[in-house]
Amino acid sequence: MTREEILKGLIEILENTPQVDSKKLKNVTEKTDFLTDLEVPSTELINVIAKAENKFDVEFDDDDIDDLGSSVSGTIDLIEAALNNQ
Amino acid sequence: MNKVAIVGMDGVFPHCKDIQEFEEKIFSNRSLIRNWDLVASYDKKIRTKVAGYATPEETGFRKFSNGLPEEYPMDLEDMNGLIPNANLATSDLGSAWAMKASLGAIKEAGWTKSEVESEHTGVVIGTGAGGQEVTRKIWNLFFDHQKKTRALGSSNVPRSMVYRDAANVSCLIKNKGVCEAIGSACATGLGSIGYAYRLIAFGLQDRMIAGGTEGTALESLIGFDAMQVLSTKFSPETSSRPYDVNRNGFVCSFGCGIVALENYDQAKARGANILGVIDGYFNNSDGDGNMFAPSYDGQERLWKGLSNQTHLHPDVVKAHGTSTITGDALELFSIVGQLGNKGYHVSAPKSQFGHMLGAVGAVEVIVSLLMMKKQMVSPCLNSDTLKSEQEFFQTKDNWQGPKDPLAAYRDLLPQLALAKPIDQIVCLNYGFGGTNSAMAISKA
Repeated sequence: MTREEILKGLIEILENTPQVDSKKLKNVTEKTDFLTDLEVPSTELINVIAKAENKFDVEFDDDDIDDLGSSVSGTIDLIEAALNNQ
Repeated sequence: MNKVAIVGMDGVFPHCKDIQEFEEKIFSNRSLIRNWDLVASYDKKIRTKVAGYATPEETGFRKFSNGLPEEYPMDLEDMNGLIPNANLATSDLGSAWAMKASLGAIKEAGWTKSEVESEHTGVVIGTGAGGQEVTRKIWNLFFDHQKKTRALGSSNVPRSMVYRDAANVSCLIKNKGVCEAIGSACATGLGSIGYAYRLIAFGLQDRMIAGGTEGTALESLIGFDAMQVLSTKFSPETSSRPYDVNRNGFVCSFGCGIVALENYDQAKARGANILGVIDGYFNNSDGDGNMFAPSYDGQERLWKGLSNQTHLHPDVVKAHGTSTITGDALELFSIVGQLGNKGYHVSAPKSQFGHMLGAVGAVEVIVSLLMMKKQMVSPCLNSDTLKSEQEFFQTKDNWQGPKDPLAAYRDLLPQLALAKPIDQIVCLNYGFGGTNSAMAISKA
């Protein structure tokens, strides 16, 4: 799976998250930040990560999530690494 | 003690899209009870077949899967766009109804934004059940499907905590006063309004949003079905039949009732439309160690406590009247024991919409306010035949109540809505644990 495909999947998750303003999702790139750019509530960001595990059928280490931050690129790194470890 | 006015009301009611439809159906003698497909899908595993519920199209709230596993507690969408998504993210169905009804009650009250957001505005809303629909699903994911906790979602606590309804309403309206929940089983709705009344009467708050809510949940119904206390074998519209000789249990129902209370002098000064005045509220316990059975002594003390607070001259007694065998009979005897057998009528709204558990006391306060507005007694549907022999407990040596059988009090129970002058109504609700609540309300 390419990084572009992972990004597309993340956007699909955000599109199904009512608290996220759909207008903000038109220009999401790897440089986007979930909290500062998309204003995803921090409690909802936990759900986005859990939904990503479900969508991509991977499981993240708790320590990796603790260190994740809120960047889209970091999240794609995490998903990509988890997919490569399967 | 400050005088307390009721200045707004709204709710979510079975088989109704809004309070106007509810009012129209109540006073045209309609039943709001239906067969429930979800119950039927479990076939013989559930004894009862009927319930009082509102569909997503009626309430405006739709559940949808949010991208986690299918069993995950669902997100809610407000199809009418009244409640922001950020608030829906922390609410279960009952809380969402409470938010919608609170906005309706505040709108009718005519409170300004600064009044709502004041330190002198409080919220007291309770529920009978503990968010079982949410907790069942997250527990299944964790214990049965061995999921990590983050797969359960981050909003399960606010969606299932005991005072979730009060908390969600408070976060929506941004009041800065009290925010609490009262829990007293089937007396919760009236108990919440009673507690809110005291906060204003004692000068601790000026305005209160108060009531009860019970979101549709099969998880709530099956517990009562297990106790074999739910109505069986009748058609939906005849299944709830308080006081009738053939009654065999209550109809489990779901809904929400919210009222806006205000210091009477302040409401009067600003020219508010006052729907009613709370004359007094009293609550107590049976004290007989029995979790389930009603107590004549407890209800007698309840009436005495209420009468110590205000002059009682009820034109209507809005009874708890659930359609259970012992509860109905003992309640009617305790009413007659206090008021005699004439000069008032007994209204049993559960005959029309069933028993909304923690919401019902508040919904029945709304029915009572509607009775005063329309000057009509809501009916006791299906009370076709009253028992002409004494109840077993009336024959015991220690029985202190009336000796006549229920049939002696036929004239108290109108089977159809009845027009008459109504100035004061006494509202009664009781709950498991032997808790009893009574409130007297009157016209402004």
